Amino acid sequence: MLPVERVIGEEGLAATAGGLKLAMRLPWYRSLPFSVVEVGPLAVDGEAVDLSDALIEYDGQQWPLSQNGEKVDTFWFIRDSAFLVLPSLRAEVGETREVSLNLFISPPYIPGMRRTNPQTSTLTVEAA
Amino acid sequence: MTTTATGPQTGVTLYSFTNEYLTRQFELDTLLAEVAKRGLGPNIEIIGFQNFREFPDVSDKFAEEFRQMIAETGLNPVSCAINSDRFLKPGAQPIEDAALVEYHKRQLRSAKKLGFSLVRYQFALPVHLLPEIAPYAEELDIRMGVEVHAPMWAGHPAVQAYGEMYDKLDTPYLGWIPDFGGTASRIPESMLDAARAKGAKEDLLDKLKEVWLEDGMSHEKAGRLREWAAPKGHGPLEIQAACLAFFILSNHDPKSWAALVDRTIHIHGKFYGVSEDLVEEAIDYDTILPLFKDGGFTGTMVSEWEGHAYDMRDAFEQVRRHQAMARRIWGS
Repeated sequence: MLPVERVIGEEGLAATAGGLKLAMRLPWYRSLPFSVVEVGPLAVDGEAVDLSDALIEYDGQQWPLSQNGEKVDTFWFIRDSAFLVLPSLRAEVGETREVSLNLFISPPYIPGMRRTNPQTSTLTVEAA
Repeated sequence: MTTTATGPQTGVTLYSFTNEYLTRQFELDTLLAEVAKRGLGPNIEIIGFQNFREFPDVSDKFAEEFRQMIAETGLNPVSCAINSDRFLKPGAQPIEDAALVEYHKRQLRSAKKLGFSLVRYQFALPVHLLPEIAPYAEELDIRMGVEVHAPMWAGHPAVQAYGEMYDKLDTPYLGWIPDFGGTASRIPESMLDAARAKGAKEDLLDKLKEVWLEDGMSHEKAGRLREWAAPKGHGPLEIQAACLAFFILSNHDPKSWAALVDRTIHIHGKFYGVSEDLVEEAIDYDTILPLFKDGGFTGTMVSEWEGHAYDMRDAFEQVRRHQAMARRIWGS
């Protein structure tokens, strides 16, 4: 998978007190505001995950995924992972999960471009 | 490494090393050191939103750290690529003009603070806002070059509208940055091979080549190909791999750049694959480069390898070959 296409971050999947936490990379060559990134769909072990209570965690901040579209001045630095926090999902450290994630991006200077970036990986759940 | 004392200069944009950078093989400081060590500078371009975490608002502290990196490597920070991010909410109206002007000013201030002598900006900035921004660039003493990038070229109406505004404002602080992807002779075979590797069938690629030669904006042509391909069972990823060509390359006369030479302040030497015998696979450098030397251009052409958009070749080797090709054509 090309670096500009990957969406599952190197830090993988972690079990936290607040649910599972999935690392994501921005599938583009430059930093973008979160407002132009659509997160999901997400499936774990083949089952679609309801993202209505999901949160984004980045650079010491956390916000509901549903507010992502308003984040026009919060930039996702291209080298960083951002994290998708899934309060309804639980797993034990050491278990494996097959994770399928798609991130759509609409670069804010290219009218009409919307890229799809599906990726599936089998991840071992880490400790937070 | 310069070509001649008074003619066009060579250099590199760190964008060429997107694969190496995104995979965390290099930090900004180690990437600059590698470029210097390999003799691919000294002139460099950096995309603000790629290599500077704090962009669009760079702190004094980081600016000092960056200036230190530059001093240690002996590189010359010529161009900072800024972005005209007008469509911050997909599907909604573009941002207000005043917000877009301020967004440019923030990036201009950062570029100046970091020591760059010019910025690359984009046509997503509506031309009627130039009279508000140009005086600010003059005040900061930093030049602005709009990137003439595919599907734009010298004869495109948007370029002509900018040219008329440039005539009206008549300032040396505004100019062009040609990106040679706008005058590609063909779609690179390496790009077609990458689409094949993703599963694109030959009939899709044949249709791609046909639509690529037609007129229209990139997203219109992508829409045309999608409408043709989807009912025939081509998948979204194969179609997306094919559509990449519409957004980064267009087919116009290589000689058309002659019309822009006078106001060219910097060049993006876009390329996809230079062979061992120093020929680029899709862009006719032997026709294009003499136009700039003969026209008196003395700025920098940065080597801009964009193969990373679809494959993982060694970017450092590609840039070395591209610069050697420029020296072959321009004379060293």
